Amino acid sequence: MDIQFEEIYATYWQKIYRLCLAYVNDADWAKDIAQDTFITVWQQLPKFRNESGIGTWIFRIASNHCLRQVERNKRIPRSDVQTEIPDTSEPSIEDKTTFLYQCIAELAETDRLIISLELEDIKQAEIAQIVGISEANTRVRIHRIKEKLTQKFTRYEQ
Amino acid sequence: MNSNIDLKELWAKQETGIPDTKDLVKRVASFKRAHLKQVIYANILLLLVAVFIVLVWYYFQPEYITTKSGIVLIILAILAYLFSYNQSIPLLLKSSYEMSSADYLQQLLSLKRKQQFLEGIMTNLYFILLSTGLFLYMIEYTMRMKLPLGIFCYGITAGWIAFNWFYIKPKTIRKQREKIDGLINKFHLLTEQLTEKK
Repeated sequence: MDIQFEEIYATYWQKIYRLCLAYVNDADWAKDIAQDTFITVWQQLPKFRNESGIGTWIFRIASNHCLRQVERNKRIPRSDVQTEIPDTSEPSIEDKTTFLYQCIAELAETDRLIISLELEDIKQAEIAQIVGISEANTRVRIHRIKEKLTQKFTRYEQ
Repeated sequence: MNSNIDLKELWAKQETGIPDTKDLVKRVASFKRAHLKQVIYANILLLLVAVFIVLVWYYFQPEYITTKSGIVLIILAILAYLFSYNQSIPLLLKSSYEMSSADYLQQLLSLKRKQQFLEGIMTNLYFILLSTGLFLYMIEYTMRMKLPLGIFCYGITAGWIAFNWFYIKPKTIRKQREKIDGLINKFHLLTEQLTEKK
């Protein structure tokens, strides 16, 4: 493994892992997809021509590895999300984070990718490039997804 | 938007240990090994059968042209199967991950359709070649038998072929179709998610 790859790996591992986790909502499975993504990055890096930014390129690879998961006969994230809080105490930050990832994993597959990229602070123009839809469409969809998530959070925190 | 900030904050809280890059190398190696093993087993097994058939030809020196053409057809059936098997596995491995999701899904769809076509044609070809080959191969040996035994042998073989043709073959094709159709359908639904809301 060369230094360039090691740097990319260190910079992007958490970001790619988060994208995969939000897609499948299963830590081990997400790790597998993230590793497969970096294998592709490692194999294709010598051919990378900088036509798009390196980040866009890596997120594209990761998104496509996520989409490819329909071929795996593993369970699809179930909607066993706790929408009710078991006791009256305020949910912790960890609980909220878990809830957020569960909520995202319940969205339509491509919405999961779009919102994950948005939350990762990727520019909307780049998200449009990664997913292959127009910028206007990206904007509208992000808005709708955020609304959905906010509604779920409002119910969760009540 | 306040909720926006909250979501981004919560999102970034999720972290996990970074696996060693050596794990990636191991993962590639084990994947390659598993893939190779699968291909080698299937090829060796069927090629052994082919070699066995050729040896039968060599040692028993059949006289009739029907026997020889039967043997050739059976070997062709085996080769057709191997061709299809060896083609369909790497087909999806060739897919490129570097395009946009919309293009990637289109690529997966076209690759799956290719695989479906190949499997359909090859399964039919395999059964036709194998059944015809077997029938031709048996003629010479049946001619040496007494009539009732000959009829019995052909009856059994015809029964076996009919069982394959009317039960095993449709079942095999149906299974292949169901699997690939299911995936094609899922890829379609994913593509729709990207087009519908434009």
